[in-house]
Amino acid sequence: MCAGCEMDEPVITSTDKGAIFSSEEGLKAYSISFYDILPDATEQATVEQALVDYGATNTLSGFTLINSYSENNSSGWSWSALRNFNYFIVNNTNTAIAESVRNNYTGLARFFRAWFYYGMVRRFGDVPWIDHPLDPSEEEILYGTRDSRELVMEKVYEDLMFAAENITRTSDAAQSSLVTKWAAYAFASRVALFEGTFRKYHNLNLTTSAETWLKRAEDAAYKVMQESGKTLNSSYRRLFTSDVPPVSETIMAIASDANLGIKHNANWRWASETYGTGLNLIRPFVCTYLQKDGTPYTDRAGWAYEDFYEEFQNRDARLNASLRYPGYIREGNLALPVFSGYARLGYQPIKLSVDATVGDSRTESTQAVQLIRFGEVLLNYAEAKAEQGTLTDQDWANTIGALRERAGITGGLTSKPTVVDNYMKENYFPDINDPVILEIRRERAIELLFEGFRFDDLRRWKAGELFEKSWTGMYIPGVNQPLDVDHNGSDDVIYYTDDAGLAAAAALSNNPNPYKVKVSTNPNAEIIQVHPAGNGSGYYLAWFTNNDSKKVWGPKQYLYPIPVGAINLNPQLEQNPGWENGATNDGN
Amino acid sequence: MKLTALLLLLPFLHASANGYGQEKFSLNLDQVEAAKVFARIQRASAYRFFYLQEDIKKLGKINIHVTEATVPEIMQKVLGNALAYKILSNYLVVISPSQMNLRQQIELRGTVRDENGNPLEGASVKVKDQNIGVTTEADGSFTIAVDPKATLEISMIGYQNVEIQVNGRSRIDDIVLNIASSGLEEVVVVGYGTQKKVNLTGAVESVGSEVFENRSMSNTTQALQGAVPNLNLFLEDGKPTRSASFNVRGRTSIGQGGNALVLIDGVEGDPSFLNPNDIESVSVLKDAASAAVYGARGSFGVVLITTKRPTRGKTTVNYTGNYSVQSLAKKPEFVTDAVTWLEHFRMAYYNTQGTVPTSINNNTQFYSDDWLERMKAWKASGEGPKTEVLPNGDYEYYNNTDWMGLLFKDRTFTHDHNLSVSGGNEKSDFFVSGRLYDFGGIYNLDPDTYRSYNLRAKGSLKAYKWLKLSNNMEFANNNYHMPYSALGRSANIQRYIEVSAFPSLPMYNPDDTYTRGGASTLAAFAEGNNYQNNKQNLFRNTVGFNTNFFNNTFRINGDYTFRYNDRDYFWKRVKVPYYQNANASAPSYAGDLNGIIYEWMGHTLYTASNIYAEYENTFAYKHYIKAMGGWNYETSAYKANSIQRNQLLLENAQSVQLATGTSITPGASASRWKTAGAFFRLNYGFMDRYLLEVNGRYDGSTRFPVEQQWGFFPSVSGGWRLSEEPFWKVSKNVFSDIKLRVSYGSLGNGNISPYQFLELLGIGNSNLVLDGALNKSTRAPAPIPTGLTWERATTTDFGLDFGMLQGKLNFNGDYYVRKTTDMYVAGPTLPDIFGATSPKGNFADMTTKGFEITLSWRDKFMVSSKPFKYQLRATLFDYVSTVDKFYNPDKRFTDYYDGMTIGELWGFRTDGLFQEDPAPGDYINTIFKSSADAVWRAGDLKIRNLDKSADNMITKGTQTVDNPGDMTIIGNTEPRYQYSFTLNADWNGIFFSAFFYGIGKQNWYPATESAFWGQYNRGYNQMPAWQLGNYWTEDNRDAYLPRYAQYNGALGFSNHVPNDRYLQKVSFLRLKNLQIGYALPETWISRTGLKNARIYFSGENIASWSPLYKWTKNFMDVSSAIGNTDSDLSSSYNQGAGNSYPVLKTYSFGVSLTF
Repeated sequence: MCAGCEMDEPVITSTDKGAIFSSEEGLKAYSISFYDILPDATEQATVEQALVDYGATNTLSGFTLINSYSENNSSGWSWSALRNFNYFIVNNTNTAIAESVRNNYTGLARFFRAWFYYGMVRRFGDVPWIDHPLDPSEEEILYGTRDSRELVMEKVYEDLMFAAENITRTSDAAQSSLVTKWAAYAFASRVALFEGTFRKYHNLNLTTSAETWLKRAEDAAYKVMQESGKTLNSSYRRLFTSDVPPVSETIMAIASDANLGIKHNANWRWASETYGTGLNLIRPFVCTYLQKDGTPYTDRAGWAYEDFYEEFQNRDARLNASLRYPGYIREGNLALPVFSGYARLGYQPIKLSVDATVGDSRTESTQAVQLIRFGEVLLNYAEAKAEQGTLTDQDWANTIGALRERAGITGGLTSKPTVVDNYMKENYFPDINDPVILEIRRERAIELLFEGFRFDDLRRWKAGELFEKSWTGMYIPGVNQPLDVDHNGSDDVIYYTDDAGLAAAAALSNNPNPYKVKVSTNPNAEIIQVHPAGNGSGYYLAWFTNNDSKKVWGPKQYLYPIPVGAINLNPQLEQNPGWENGATNDGN
Repeated sequence: MKLTALLLLLPFLHASANGYGQEKFSLNLDQVEAAKVFARIQRASAYRFFYLQEDIKKLGKINIHVTEATVPEIMQKVLGNALAYKILSNYLVVISPSQMNLRQQIELRGTVRDENGNPLEGASVKVKDQNIGVTTEADGSFTIAVDPKATLEISMIGYQNVEIQVNGRSRIDDIVLNIASSGLEEVVVVGYGTQKKVNLTGAVESVGSEVFENRSMSNTTQALQGAVPNLNLFLEDGKPTRSASFNVRGRTSIGQGGNALVLIDGVEGDPSFLNPNDIESVSVLKDAASAAVYGARGSFGVVLITTKRPTRGKTTVNYTGNYSVQSLAKKPEFVTDAVTWLEHFRMAYYNTQGTVPTSINNNTQFYSDDWLERMKAWKASGEGPKTEVLPNGDYEYYNNTDWMGLLFKDRTFTHDHNLSVSGGNEKSDFFVSGRLYDFGGIYNLDPDTYRSYNLRAKGSLKAYKWLKLSNNMEFANNNYHMPYSALGRSANIQRYIEVSAFPSLPMYNPDDTYTRGGASTLAAFAEGNNYQNNKQNLFRNTVGFNTNFFNNTFRINGDYTFRYNDRDYFWKRVKVPYYQNANASAPSYAGDLNGIIYEWMGHTLYTASNIYAEYENTFAYKHYIKAMGGWNYETSAYKANSIQRNQLLLENAQSVQLATGTSITPGASASRWKTAGAFFRLNYGFMDRYLLEVNGRYDGSTRFPVEQQWGFFPSVSGGWRLSEEPFWKVSKNVFSDIKLRVSYGSLGNGNISPYQFLELLGIGNSNLVLDGALNKSTRAPAPIPTGLTWERATTTDFGLDFGMLQGKLNFNGDYYVRKTTDMYVAGPTLPDIFGATSPKGNFADMTTKGFEITLSWRDKFMVSSKPFKYQLRATLFDYVSTVDKFYNPDKRFTDYYDGMTIGELWGFRTDGLFQEDPAPGDYINTIFKSSADAVWRAGDLKIRNLDKSADNMITKGTQTVDNPGDMTIIGNTEPRYQYSFTLNADWNGIFFSAFFYGIGKQNWYPATESAFWGQYNRGYNQMPAWQLGNYWTEDNRDAYLPRYAQYNGALGFSNHVPNDRYLQKVSFLRLKNLQIGYALPETWISRTGLKNARIYFSGENIASWSPLYKWTKNFMDVSSAIGNTDSDLSSSYNQGAGNSYPVLKTYSFGVSLTF
């Protein structure tokens, strides 16, 4: 009747921590969960579809739309990933496992803990430093104040150095999906560069100087350059379109696999106007791509009034690798930008999508998405040295020169520039007088386009005003007339202002079915606008300029507000300056 | 001694009372001892004589000369007046001294009938004040040996007792039992036994098989909805497969939750497998006192379902069958005119984005104003739909497709057959039943069929006078086929039609390939290749014994049950091709390009053992005592394995063996628990006037940590039958019965899921491609709870039962307070840096208060000299729960807080719609926006600046009760004031019944993706027809809906905040069942061998009324609106509200034949 009055039923489909932490298999299975903190492929491939200065989108991001952001709708104060790392670090103490093995996995955990805190500090500045899984009784921590940025970043650096020294894996030929020693060093250079320049340009007087961090950035980057064996891959485009990313340059990537059924949306998001934000580059940025000879495009005669075909001639090869260019072919068909849809401003990005169309409207993309690559390390190194004032011509040649050479540029590769490019200075960084730093910033934007650096770069350079830039696009020679924008003899698009204009243009067109795009000359219109280019007949396409006055960047926006819910739970968390009591992003 | 002892045993020995042999004897004996006479008779017959030698010796030698004399005649001669005797039914003749008053008895025959003249089987015929009795046969007849001056008591469950003076008669054929008017004479099933309703002190409500009769219902749960006050069954949608958790008396626990314990024939079971036709009664034990014998699992009520008992006597065969026509109770009405839809799409898009769209839902269809103009012209031309090919090969569609019409059949057919055979005699009996329920599916192209089979065989054998063995076997099998779109199990088909199958799109291109919208929705149905098949089997067997001793005052019963339940699920996805361009060389595809098969198999083995003894007796006619005690032990072991693999070898593959891909995901789950308990119940009644009951259980469960595994849960209840008091002088014709009841009990809640108290690291499947593979992964466990103990539910119940006007009017009412304390909830909300949900603990208390009232009226009058009998029954019940304790000192209303009423809905008040564009400073709302540029315009919803803040800013404050900003409580989503009406009437073989069920008050705010919003949600949604003309324009300023704009935050699209303007009242009244039938007169059917034949019409859900329909008209049934899940899907976001499987209305025609 009561065979077992002892009321005991063991669990069989899960296990206790003793079993996990007593074998390398257990540590490895646990370490898989660390990777969950990484963005997924779609997220990483679309990270720059919002909140970048060089792109126009179909919706203004709330963070830069006046009075749209406050502690009431802030987010990102999530700490569950940290607990997972800390639980591992604290429990990975079983001496039955060799110390080097344990340290390898603890190194992984500390790499990801640094990843976590780097994100937190970038977003919120000061944050509590927690190095173990908290117990509810630890009220002095739970209800404590924030720790200083100084303290937290030192811990982050310690974590990264521990990771770099103890992670045993040095390469992952399969898909570069695993964290290696070089990923730790490369990431350390990114973190240190951010911190060094942030402290420098925001005049933070902390114990550890900006220079200390810039040196750390330089050293970490140098380690990768000297010891990892990584080189620049010959093809820039293939870095972003291969399922197996070139191992020569890739340090870490997010892998997908059709056979495993793990796919992402990159092509869809970069092809569909409504799935995502439909980001187009703006012409002021497109103009920063150098000419093949290494001179600025804006030095070219008539550059301001070049149409779609003309402006793509003799340029940095990365322009063609990043945008639909005249003559771009997909699956054997000429593929113009979709002027009536996605390509409102004429510049439709292709950098992170592939030339096959299968993923254009469904989740079928499998190309790897870069997370850390050697090209960035070179840029980190160059900038760290330049900011310290120690960049040599040889450094230039090894870094910016090498990147430009790969982009087909022939001039200015071996010695650092000596003349300020006024276009860059006036349009982007008016406070920078060092031609080297200006060129490194140009290079960084072009090389790392859409890879998720721009928002951070502008914040650390204290250049948030760029988010207020007006969104103007491609030059067109006229409206109400058929345009052969790729100069192949067949008319491609009619920009018309009214039905009569359309009818007149259609009668002239040598293509019965060109794109027909209604535009307005009214700068307050809510459709695509055309602004007189200043040469009497031509126009620049423009988008949402009626919203220019609503774009906002104020000093407080270099940090996000802590979500009000977190402050309600712990009033000791002081709100970041300017965001107190529900204040919105009002420009102050 | 011996005789005395024997006499004590007498009552046992007459249990089968088949009268007396009429054997006759001829004797010619002189000067013999009486013993010799008896010996002679014994030799020649079955008679056995029992006497004490010394008694017989007193008779001395006797002479006897009789011819063809019966035993009584002989006994008269032998014994004279010196000794008495008694002939027992088994031919035992007991002789005793005359002072024992065993006088000669007569053999009385009689018949018991009901008020309609139908014979009553199983009625108890008992000699008053003696433990002598028989039960009636199938034809209502009985035979009993009685003293000619005796008084008979005739009783039967559900009928009023009758007393009859024998008055020397040997035949009484006019005994009529009236149906128990007060209900107090009934016997109801309670935990481990039965109880006369008159003796009940707890809150117990019971219904019989009438709830299930003549209804076409797929399962028991559906039939029970609304039938018992405060047995709350909320079905998530209208699927025939759907069951519901059984809730008694409202909110149970906001911690562990917990439902009522459902027992079928005394053992935990799943009513969704149960053949409704097998059910004899359903008892609901509502209060702690009644449920206490079930301990922790009865903490939130117990539902006791008892299956039909075999009928003894002549074998009875019963067939009932019905054939039903089912259709949607309300068919979702969307705009099907493509021009109207497209104009509204453009308007919704333009009003939000400020630009003209270029495609509809991510290139499902390309949009241009040209196309709209061409479509208008085409419509004006009056020609029918067509598809054109543009110069670049793209298809351009001019269609007016009614996609919901394509999805749903106009009607479907269901048949339901039930056959039962029952019979037996005093030694053994049996009941065998079988059922087939076959639902044809309401989907058109790939019908969602459901078929279930039930088989039951039960029987008993009376092995000895004191021992009965019984067995009850049940088998059930059901098969459900559910098609889904190419988008798989995560996609609700109605929702996906709304977002990707536009009225302008046909399903097919001119060359019979699929359009993109078709491929995303119904093409998979047409192909029949994306579906899940769920199969379930249940096998259950209970073997039991019943014994009785000492004049049936002491009984020991025991049973052992095992139940094996296996489930076998098969899911498949296959890609569906489509073309958007006539020149494309290859199709595009919707769905998974490789195809996926997923198989899941799980089984549960459950065993239950019960043994209990009961003693029942009455002393000095005053003191009634009943005691019961026993032991219960149950085990359950569940285990499941699953595997998913991609890359199908064949599109029609039906096994994972034909999948060959490298993405292979195995999975397993298991859980086991045991529970044991010792329980008791003591009843004491004094003069039927004062009643007292004590229950208790010492309960153990493996689900708790070792030191907390056992708990003792007692309860007590009492009753006072005021009407039995000598001082109660009110005429029985006015007040026939009054009883006051009160009960109190405190039970632990054993619903905690296993392993909650262990720090466990689960092994999961990572979705990341790392090192070229998908890896097993584990992570930090949830912080473990500390100091875990039982949640407790403490119920106090006050009840009043009375009957009036000779029992025509009856009232039962209960008011209760249930305090659920120490609820196991997330602990004090910790700052986010804790990094996990706060460890759970026994932190919260809640009070639920409610009542149930049942009022019934029964009467009859004559119509055309035939009795017209009718009965009305009305119930009203309610509950409301408030949180007494929850660690939330700031009273954030995003969580529970002290004083919170469960279900309260926080939102904004509104001041109508802006009639002019507001000045930017007059109204600042950053919580949501209704257009991309965040500018408020005329026609937008105006949220009230409730806190009158000077800056005119709409805020949520700190989302606390004390600082709610502009938010306030705008409604409550809990159902309030549920009620039902039942009307039965019967005249001359014609019977009629109607059953209404309703909810008096309830609010609902349509969720973000609810079909309710149409294009206010996504501009490309299908447009609910009711919205036409109901939205704000400059010419329609009094409209209900605001400016027509997609992704409209004001209506809850983002940062979902409800507001009072669009809060819906979803109270309703539903005619759940209507029956009209005719019992064919016996004269018509007698020659066919039929005993009984009835034909009937029965309707389910044939009408409903709700304030919701004021706006939505026929758009959706009120139940479909609230329902927002389909547990057969694996949806990551809420797609259901208004899109759940529709409620069906049923018209069925049936027969019931008894042979």
